[in-house]
Amino acid sequence: MTDTTFFAVTIIGRDRPGIVADTARVLYELGCNVADSSSTILGGQFAMILIVSHPQLREREVLLQAFSALEQQGLSVFVRTLRPGGETRPELPGELCMISVYGSDKAGIVYRVAQLLSDLAVNIVDLNTKLVGSAQRPVYVMMCESVLPENLTIETLRERLEPLRRELQVDISVRNITPVEL
Amino acid sequence: MAVREVLVYPDERLKQRCHVADPASATTRALVTDLLDTMYAAGHSVGIAAPQIGADLRVAVVDVSHSKLGQKHNHGQLVLINPEILERSGSKTMREGCMSVPDYTGNVERAKEIVVQFLDGEGRDQVIRCKGFEAVAIQHELDHLDGLLFLDRVSNPRTDVFKRK
Repeated sequence: MTDTTFFAVTIIGRDRPGIVADTARVLYELGCNVADSSSTILGGQFAMILIVSHPQLREREVLLQAFSALEQQGLSVFVRTLRPGGETRPELPGELCMISVYGSDKAGIVYRVAQLLSDLAVNIVDLNTKLVGSAQRPVYVMMCESVLPENLTIETLRERLEPLRRELQVDISVRNITPVEL
Repeated sequence: MAVREVLVYPDERLKQRCHVADPASATTRALVTDLLDTMYAAGHSVGIAAPQIGADLRVAVVDVSHSKLGQKHNHGQLVLINPEILERSGSKTMREGCMSVPDYTGNVERAKEIVVQFLDGEGRDQVIRCKGFEAVAIQHELDHLDGLLFLDRVSNPRTDVFKRK
């Protein structure tokens, strides 16, 4: 029987060397475990999202307090307590695919693609968007790793994306990246 | 008849080199039964090797016939005792997942077509030519007999290993 509590910690601030070390030190000194995390530079900001656990600690205020020194250095720290079971990975049956959307930058690419996927009950599990190309000819790239509902094939998804592809004048490709279970 | 627990890395038994098995021995026969039971009980699994259930003998089972990817080319249920790959040709990359490495998947390049020699469940010498998903599955399982996981086969851990969501 365990009483471990899980928290979601989000930290973002102007990128500089040492953010990870400072964050990890605070968590280590509190006795937190980092169960899962993902961090990257977005714009000029370093953004960290961590799922951390603690065997006794219940109060998110204690975590926030421990991070107050970091906040004074210009980092923003948010802490949310997960409900029991909120840390477990859900079973996601269905094909895993990578949907790549790219074309000259225009308003609504992410919204329109995401809305169509939502209408089809496609579950986005990883999303990256980036503006690339030159200032004169900006190109928008959206990479969307998604789990299809069991009744939707990749061929059907391609067909459903086709009208959107024409309307937005972007390129859209869908490829199967479902791992084979050996 | 027993569904056995599937060992998970970093269990050291997954990294050992297995010994030649005696197809006539009771140990080997029981191992084959347990491997088949454990593979089919896992549902989505198309193969399992002895070290994954803690045995150090060169025995693996493969059955891709129930998988969509294996429909076209398969030999049904394969019991592979002391298997050796005699020939390899072509190459094929698949994103592999393994019951012994549950949190990660990885892009692994393997031979597209292989010729494999082995003793079957009755101890008869067999040589078969396999391709596609079945060939990949056999290569993956045979790696287990030498203590190799798909993580040992990825060419670039930064771009070819993926954390499961």
